[in-house]
Amino acid sequence: MSVDQEPPAERATSRVASPDGLDPTVEALTVAVAARVPVLLWGAPGTGKTSVIRAMATAMGLPCETVIASIREPSDFAGLPVVVGQGVRFAPPAWAQRLTGAGRGLLFLDELSTAPPAVQAALLRVVLERVVGDLELPEEVAVVAAANPPDQAADGWDLSAPLANRLCHLAWDVNPAAVADGLAGGWSAPRIPGLAEGWVAEEILARGMVAAFLRVRPALACAPPSDPASAGRGWPSPRTWEMAARLWAAGGAAGATDEARSALVRGAVGDGAGAEFLTWLLEMDLPDPEEVLADPGSFALPERGDRAYAALAAITAAVAAEPTAERWTAGWQVLGLAAGTAPDVAAAAARVLARHRPAGAELPPEIHLFAPVLRDAGLLGR
Amino acid sequence: MTASLPGLAGARLWAAARFPYLASGIFGAQVVAAPGSGTVSVDEGWRMHADPDVAAQWTPAQFGSVLIHHVSHLLRAHADRARALGVGPRDGAEWVRAADAEINDDLVPAGLDLPGDPVLPHHLGAEPGGLAEQYFRAPAEGDGWEVDCGSGADGRQRPGEGPQGGLPRWQADLLRRLVAQECVRHGKEAGTVPAGLLRWAQETLAPAVDWRTLLAAELRRAVADTAGAADYSYRRPSRRASAVGDVVLPALRRPVPEVAVVCDTSGSMTDHLLARSLAEVAGLLRSLGVTRQVRVLACDAAAAPAQRVTSARQVELVGGGGTNMGAGLTAAAALRPRPAITVVLTDGYTPWPGQAPKGMRVVVALLGERAPDAPAWARAVRVAESA
Repeated sequence: MSVDQEPPAERATSRVASPDGLDPTVEALTVAVAARVPVLLWGAPGTGKTSVIRAMATAMGLPCETVIASIREPSDFAGLPVVVGQGVRFAPPAWAQRLTGAGRGLLFLDELSTAPPAVQAALLRVVLERVVGDLELPEEVAVVAAANPPDQAADGWDLSAPLANRLCHLAWDVNPAAVADGLAGGWSAPRIPGLAEGWVAEEILARGMVAAFLRVRPALACAPPSDPASAGRGWPSPRTWEMAARLWAAGGAAGATDEARSALVRGAVGDGAGAEFLTWLLEMDLPDPEEVLADPGSFALPERGDRAYAALAAITAAVAAEPTAERWTAGWQVLGLAAGTAPDVAAAAARVLARHRPAGAELPPEIHLFAPVLRDAGLLGR
Repeated sequence: MTASLPGLAGARLWAAARFPYLASGIFGAQVVAAPGSGTVSVDEGWRMHADPDVAAQWTPAQFGSVLIHHVSHLLRAHADRARALGVGPRDGAEWVRAADAEINDDLVPAGLDLPGDPVLPHHLGAEPGGLAEQYFRAPAEGDGWEVDCGSGADGRQRPGEGPQGGLPRWQADLLRRLVAQECVRHGKEAGTVPAGLLRWAQETLAPAVDWRTLLAAELRRAVADTAGAADYSYRRPSRRASAVGDVVLPALRRPVPEVAVVCDTSGSMTDHLLARSLAEVAGLLRSLGVTRQVRVLACDAAAAPAQRVTSARQVELVGGGGTNMGAGLTAAAALRPRPAITVVLTDGYTPWPGQAPKGMRVVVALLGERAPDAPAWARAVRVAESA
């Protein structure tokens, strides 16, 4: 087999760092902040979630308002009801007024999972629509939250499904190497990337891709989990798919690594649905079997072994579904081309194709190409 | 690459033909010639480093089996698991031996033809069908297995492997899921995929959540819904409201909910499972701040009088005959003060009432893997016999 295309430089250690040494989770965090998508970091207490977010705000010169959700009342987010004459006004708290005054900034909701359910309910509008009481926070305000998994916090609650569905969930693992570096040389402050002009057009493209995927897998359009433990994490819904499309586009516009982009997609729609979508994206690059069968000469074998195998398997499956003599011969021509670079992959597909010989089809000349490798494998004459 | 490694194509074809459900994994690993290394090893970027001189001595079946063995290390994420376990340079070989046993256990009976004498669980004095974590630190018979399968098996980077390149982590993750999907698809025809591999595939595609986590989440939710524990309420003005004039402040309310536990004591129940889940429920309630004594009702065809207990050991389980959890729920609803939450511990072989008891949340812990489903109006958690 040929050498695979070299992906962006990455370390093969536990946490793969991107070219500029940024942890993929931190990178994903900065992209989500740049795209103004509410993001939630899950991690054990004392692992530096809060300090990274504060350092990020300081480095970018953004005002950062930290609100610890667990010691707040619902009225701190829904507005304090004040009786004014005949009506009731919902007065916003001071931190919201400060952010509105600055016109931009970072709203950091700490300890989200220890907030009682009524406070979580009050947070619903704050997180997605940035509305606090009667006040709407400016568009430029980003919402970032941090939480400890319920089984690690003494008085933790599972996040309610509606609140969980408004956030992109990122897992915050401790990276021992980064801790060592930070202790010795100070913590580096991640920078929020600038999004290239016109990235909104990319967002429309990304939405189109998500829409095409959901047409193939309609069951994943909305799949609320049944148990409360998984409902407190990312799960697929129309809202989170929209979020995933936005994050995918923003990741591209910010020049983020694929590692970070995949973490963002999986954080928005959940692990299972996210992996399905990413797999589908990779498969999009494979040649279309029908086009190849119509013009076998145009076939180019993907470089990576498993992708080459997937492409050839798709072509043999297409022939098996509709075995005419013409398609069968075209299939052999494709395998003959592939045998030059990857005889083993092509031979594995050839074994399948040989079983679907249509009546009256002549034995193709390419079949002789596979005799040596089949003999090597001890598979000839069975 | 094929040119520098004679026999590779034949070996891979043998492997893909013999284990078609692993084909994507076999072709996904990139094989690199490593002359003079004297062995075959694998790194976390799905690159296999093989010494051509060593490989030349093997038959295609043996070489193919070695490839499958190493791909299995990657599929089963042995490097991540070694790191999670804190395997260091000292016990690295011991871990690889355990990981090898986990792989070979399934695949050797399915036709893997490894050169030499492969490690199997019984060599480590362990039962087959386990995980590497269970085999780890088991005393081995003899010490003929000083093997090294590379950083892909134990998570420790080798100097010769080169720090960069290979398959990016997220793509490796997708490839792993793809192989798992193919295993499950092939597994629909009975007997084609070894049971242990099928279990791995299902666990990879839909990771099972520990029943303790689920039970805790259900109870937390039940307590939160009924009690609004430490929650805010405008039902009654705050004590401080007079100090701030026009502002309406909510009061902090924290009613403690009453909890009852109904235990199925019919003949079909196993004692140790019941004791364990009862202890779990009692511990969870204590951590949720439900500190009052829990009332436990033993129930078979009819419910026995409620016992107030503070620990699982105090429960006297009477009964044994037929089963009707409906009777238990009726008896729980008749208790005074009336419980807001009822936890039912049962094996599921029981009739249920057609609808939920009024004003009471019901959490059902189904004990045993084969328990029938609980009714739709109750929240159900399956408690596994193992784990």
